[in-house]
Amino acid sequence: MNGHPQFAEDFELYTLGVLDGDDKAAFEAHLAVCAECRRELEGTRSRASLLGLAAVQASPRPEVREQVLDRFRVDRRAKQPLQAPTAARYRRSPWTPLWAAAAVVLLVAAAWLERENRRLEAGLAQLQATHVQLEASSRELEEESARAQAALDVLTAPETIQVELAPVAARPVPHGKAFYNASKGLLFYAADLPALAAGHTYELWLIPSEGAPIDAGLFNADLRGNGEVILPALPRGLTAKAFAVTIEPVGGVPAPTGPKVLIGPVS
Amino acid sequence: MDPIARQEPARQDTDEGLIRRILAGDETALGTLYDRYGGLVYSVANRILRDTGAAEEVLQDIFHQLWRAAAGFDAARGSLSSWLLVMARNRSIDRLRRRDLASAGDPMDLMPASGFNLENEAARNEMVAQVRRALGSLPEGQRQAMELAYFEGLTQTEIAARTGDPLGTVKTRLRTAMATLKKAFES
Repeated sequence: MNGHPQFAEDFELYTLGVLDGDDKAAFEAHLAVCAECRRELEGTRSRASLLGLAAVQASPRPEVREQVLDRFRVDRRAKQPLQAPTAARYRRSPWTPLWAAAAVVLLVAAAWLERENRRLEAGLAQLQATHVQLEASSRELEEESARAQAALDVLTAPETIQVELAPVAARPVPHGKAFYNASKGLLFYAADLPALAAGHTYELWLIPSEGAPIDAGLFNADLRGNGEVILPALPRGLTAKAFAVTIEPVGGVPAPTGPKVLIGPVS
Repeated sequence: MDPIARQEPARQDTDEGLIRRILAGDETALGTLYDRYGGLVYSVANRILRDTGAAEEVLQDIFHQLWRAAAGFDAARGSLSSWLLVMARNRSIDRLRRRDLASAGDPMDLMPASGFNLENEAARNEMVAQVRRALGSLPEGQRQAMELAYFEGLTQTEIAARTGDPLGTVKTRLRTAMATLKKAFES
């Protein structure tokens, strides 16, 4: 069959994996030659997937959310930064261009040495007088050429391993977590915070849905970068829009002035 | 206005905005997307697999896949909600039937073109109701054939074998059902 599918619904049915046998073969044979139908097929995926909404709504155990986020944290730490849309997607090892350049240099050198060698060898026949001297040069060039070849062999052999080296410890990114209940209070934990210069402190802010940020306590990072604020005195019943941490002068300030270190909107 | 509040994001973050924040390593953004779609993904997986543990694994895998593939997400190309539903269904069917619908290639290739957008909760609820109404309106034979196709991943021949109906009847039922659903989704 080379015509368009007889039934418009076959696109959805194909997407769902329902077609089989001759129907599937004919459909695929046509897709292979028809760009228009391939585009049409793209559009049917979303309609077909809507059927999933008919599933009875169920909820995973609450722990799963934490597991998903844990896995994200582990990944984030292991390969920071995550793939960014443009930069990181095409980012290559900083060494790759270096190896490539080295390989090119060696290849050019080897080719040049090879040619030079041949030229010198031809010259030998003509220049009987300098025979001995030229033979020595030729040997030297041959040796260099062999060395270049050996280096190239290492770079190009399939069993060669490549190991990248990085600085010993990447600086961790500070992060924090607030547990807030408008009638019961606030707990806040932060980790991987940098130590502050003398005369400064971290200050936690509750940003209410209306009005100015409210001081939710001062804290310092311990030697491992951990800090916490447990049940600070706060007016009860506040609706929080976000939490934030700034760096302020020791003793704290009534309204944030210093640089923001952490911020988290209430989702 | 104070300096912090000025930088607050809009009340309803778009999927696209959240993806961008995930790429920047923002865990809260992933949490927000999970809260938005985790239940949908899990419900599809649980309906197909009928095993809460396996459904949770599928759910975790898909969100893992989500941030690993996030760089390839292009809101102009399709919607995240469609992608998540396609992944939830295909992954679960793969697992159920040991088939390979989802795993080959770049997962973002499964991004449906010009998908519907379910990032708004009201739109989501409305769509759920609409799909259920549409499925519920189908004659029993058509509804059963669609459910066997979607939730059990059966092919038309397998459906015929399961229900004992002639293959031609099954094909007609599936096509008629799909045409009805398309009309309902488009309205």
